[in-house]
Amino acid sequence: MADFEPKIIAFCCNWCSYAGADGAGVARLQMPTNFRIIRTMCSARVDPEHVLRSLAKGADGVIVLGCHPADCHYIGGNYRARRRIALLKMVLDQYGFDPKRLKLEWVSASEGEKFQITITSFVNDIKALGPTPLKEVE
Amino acid sequence: MGFFDKIKSVFKKHGDDCGCCKGKQEKKPKAAITAVKTAPAAWVNPLDPFPLQPGPPPGGKIKLAVYWAAGCGGCDVSLLDMDERILTIGDMADIVLWPIATDGKEHDIAEMKDGEITISLINGAVRNTENEHMAKLLRQKSQIVVSYGACACSGGSPALANLVPGGKDEILDYVYRQCTSMKDFQDKQKKPIIPQTSVKTADGVITIPEMYDVVKSLDQVIDVDYSVPGCPPTKGTISELIAAFAAYLYNGVALPPKGTMIGASAKSLCEECPRKKEMRRITKIVEPHEIDVDPELCLMDQGILCQGPATAGGCGSRCTRAAQPCRGCYGPTKLVDDMGASMFTAVASLFPVMDFDPICGEDRIMDIMASVKDPLGYFYAFSMSKSLIKRSVVDKKGGQ
Repeated sequence: MADFEPKIIAFCCNWCSYAGADGAGVARLQMPTNFRIIRTMCSARVDPEHVLRSLAKGADGVIVLGCHPADCHYIGGNYRARRRIALLKMVLDQYGFDPKRLKLEWVSASEGEKFQITITSFVNDIKALGPTPLKEVE
Repeated sequence: MGFFDKIKSVFKKHGDDCGCCKGKQEKKPKAAITAVKTAPAAWVNPLDPFPLQPGPPPGGKIKLAVYWAAGCGGCDVSLLDMDERILTIGDMADIVLWPIATDGKEHDIAEMKDGEITISLINGAVRNTENEHMAKLLRQKSQIVVSYGACACSGGSPALANLVPGGKDEILDYVYRQCTSMKDFQDKQKKPIIPQTSVKTADGVITIPEMYDVVKSLDQVIDVDYSVPGCPPTKGTISELIAAFAAYLYNGVALPPKGTMIGASAKSLCEECPRKKEMRRITKIVEPHEIDVDPELCLMDQGILCQGPATAGGCGSRCTRAAQPCRGCYGPTKLVDDMGASMFTAVASLFPVMDFDPICGEDRIMDIMASVKDPLGYFYAFSMSKSLIKRSVVDKKGGQ
């Protein structure tokens, strides 16, 4: 498993986390390159279908990044998102996935460093979990 | 004299003798023909979607096959829900196969020419080799194949077995060895008795179909022309299907385009549900029997998990009218791929934002959402075969 390079989909909200990722890039912070960012207008824009489709298409992990609680550009989008993600984690558990393959984290526009730490630790978590079980099934 | 002719003769006698029936019989065909003639393609008069038409169609009787794959048989019975309209089916078609009602056999179908059957209605999911064989055979011999009912369209309840991690072996092991009623019996045997696909006996080899690990919907196995959703399809939906065929056969009205979901509305069930939505937020999920259900108010507002927001309408919202939540048998609306996913969104938004929300951790939110019991089984009750992740996965590292 040493040479396993996971594929990770990162959904970043336009107002905080995407800017945070941008900040991490501008500051030239080093981090693994296993993630593909998809910019959404809000973390609540991430439909559960997006997450399920990512996993169905072979993503090893999905991370959803949004504004901190009480900081959402749309007042309450992140509260909705966290309830959906909680529900989705239960569903992934029922499917037989490790719920750790889905993660929700708050990264603000100024937190380039937190973006780096979050991504690095998530990539390490997924590396420890191994490739998605869907690959073995199909 | 065929099965339907017999029934019909009984009704005819009744009609000739008594005045009330006579009057009806005289009036109906007139109104019926004009109704169909004025009807554009696929448009159906909701009050009388399948007007009675006497006699065979101008082109001669068609051949109709009805097959029961992995389903409960409710779809077969639902075909009889058309009341007296069933009699005109006997006029319209010769039934060549309908295991529940007539004596057609597999070899009768196999001997037919390709495309000899005009319409095949197949209900039930594809669960074993026999289902798949019959589906393919009927596809080869039929001009039109209709996927009939929730199981054929999207897997239905049988497809929930896809969530058993061990697949076929685990299911057979549980059903024949572990479950309480079998355990005593099996313990008394020298060797556990589990059905085999072929067994040699003194009289020859006996075979049964082989079960699959994954339950598939019909359109995942064969090419399907039309789909009719529902568990089972309602009277209105069936009438709409038969009316479309009758209009084509008797009046030459064009059939709906291939792939049409007949009977399902483009909008969700909430559009046709008479209950009022007040956008209330809930903190507790209840079952209908646990509360005194308000007859006017939306069920979701009362804390009952109703699948109306994610389900296509067309059924007439019978369940919600009777204070029962929608279970989603009409499948997702056209724009949605994964029915359960759109329900997650609807349900997650039901829970209010609390005072502690800005400061609490994710664990507390997990506790709140844990009040939704068995989300996968509940929200995919009829659509597991069509979900994005079609079966349970075994994550070895995750310890599942």
